[in-house]
Amino acid sequence: MKIKITKAEGKVTVGILLGVLLLAMFLSLFLGSVLMSPSALWHSDILWQIRLPRVILAAFVGLLLALSGVILQGVLRNPLSDPYIVGFSAGAGVGAAISLALGAQFIVFGMSSLPASAFIFSLLSVFVVYKLSQAAGKTSPETLILAGVALSAFCGAILSLIIIISGNLQSIYFWLLGSLSAATWSNVSTVIPYAIVGSVVAYYYSKELNALLLGEEMALTLGVDVEKVRLVLIVTASLLTAAAVSVSGLIGFVGLIIPHWIRLIVGPNHRLLIPISALSGMILMVVTDTIARTVLSPMEIPIGIIMALVGAPFFLYLLRRRRLEGQ
Amino acid sequence: MSVLDVKELICGYEPGKPVLKEISFEVDDGEFVGIVGPNGSGKTTLLRTLVGLLKVQHGEILISQHKLEHLSRREIARRIAFVPQLMEPVAGFTVEDLVLLGRTPYLERFSFESEDDYDAANWAIEELKIETLKDRPTTELSGGEFQRVAIARALAQEPQVLLLDEPTSHLDIRFQINICKLLRKLRSHRSIVATFHDLNLAARFCSRLILMKNGEMIADGKPDDVITPENIWKAYRIKVSVKKNLKTQKARYVLLP
Repeated sequence: MKIKITKAEGKVTVGILLGVLLLAMFLSLFLGSVLMSPSALWHSDILWQIRLPRVILAAFVGLLLALSGVILQGVLRNPLSDPYIVGFSAGAGVGAAISLALGAQFIVFGMSSLPASAFIFSLLSVFVVYKLSQAAGKTSPETLILAGVALSAFCGAILSLIIIISGNLQSIYFWLLGSLSAATWSNVSTVIPYAIVGSVVAYYYSKELNALLLGEEMALTLGVDVEKVRLVLIVTASLLTAAAVSVSGLIGFVGLIIPHWIRLIVGPNHRLLIPISALSGMILMVVTDTIARTVLSPMEIPIGIIMALVGAPFFLYLLRRRRLEGQ
Repeated sequence: MSVLDVKELICGYEPGKPVLKEISFEVDDGEFVGIVGPNGSGKTTLLRTLVGLLKVQHGEILISQHKLEHLSRREIARRIAFVPQLMEPVAGFTVEDLVLLGRTPYLERFSFESEDDYDAANWAIEELKIETLKDRPTTELSGGEFQRVAIARALAQEPQVLLLDEPTSHLDIRFQINICKLLRKLRSHRSIVATFHDLNLAARFCSRLILMKNGEMIADGKPDDVITPENIWKAYRIKVSVKKNLKTQKARYVLLP
């Protein structure tokens, strides 16, 4: 359990994961509802317009969600945080659905209407949940989860209402389940800037995230401007979630499983946790999306369903273990 | 030369309700100051203000002639380190990892700890005599072991002033003595200010005592001058007689029947 890896081993791990990711992406290009020979595939639109953008999008959505999870778990000092559980995703979903239903097209701060609207609503939801769960400078894990559940239910009701009123049932519903089936090159170019900015910001604050492991007050005495760091990181996590939600709908548990699992292997040092979680999130999404589009071929399972089938039991296992450890 | 200079300090948790009422004192290089006094006398509040966790309402704090309010958090952290009453271990961190967190105010962005950081952490680990615990998970230590790790973490900050809030209150007598001896030895490198509940322990190891009551200092000086029946009556409303320990020649109080 208490395995700790060194800096050098960490760098090797990053290299290996990068290799695994490229291999998974490469193999994934050959799999799909239509089986084709490599040469036919090379000259086909299926590769260039469908599979390639989809595989790349899957990888970046994995990175966005995993990073968002690492940041939230660190800054809220709560290992059960995940953008889906704390109600980020549901808030972003409402924002995105409003934008879809209205068919609005506007630009805010260089963001197109869908991610902008998703971002505003996810930020709103996180502040509600965070304020509710905060007591005496600490967030209580249980209250955080309860507040997230209540807010998700509330957002779910609003979403259903939007679907019924707009009459655009099928497309919004399918999108809600979480799927990468609508992947296009334009989606890919939407998420890449967020992925880059998010990765840089997360890594930039890795020493502050490490200091926060000792609690907010101790971080202060170690020279960390806790309030500023917390604000910047929560806004960043919210942006990452909004970007992921706007291209792939609601996919849960990636942000929970990946950082948790990686922490058990590499330890809680964010300088390793952040890059290794990001790469692992990319690999997980590429593999899961390949399963989603091939296992019941020609039918496709929304990837959100697969993640929930795997992620929800894992979440329950974590809850149970915390109880047993008496934390 | 004074390392820490506190002038007419007033502070508290709410405006208009000061917990500390015009506290003034100076701490010189190499002093080991024990702050004693009854519960609620403002000992912890004083330490928390000195490290910048509580805002100064009036007066000022100087650290080696620099005003605290003019320093950034990072600059303060390089000068003052704080060991709280209870620190929580970090799951997945070894003793060395935790001590290295003390290097946070020196770390550069986008890089790992440097050789200097490892040297400082190892030095702190040696000073606290916890070399054998270096690779142990922090979650598996006893209270006395973990307290030494917590002090090593603060020492790794290479502060000019080390503040400790009741460093001995959760420990058995063996570790109480052990921690106090280590602190007495450490003061040759820096000034130490610590709060204590145990007057006899504080009198035995500190070079100077400050006795507080209701946010005011009622005595300040050598332990022998502070631990008197009159002062203890003033602070605690308890009748005691004060005797000298035959071996150490330090003052200690004995309860009167």
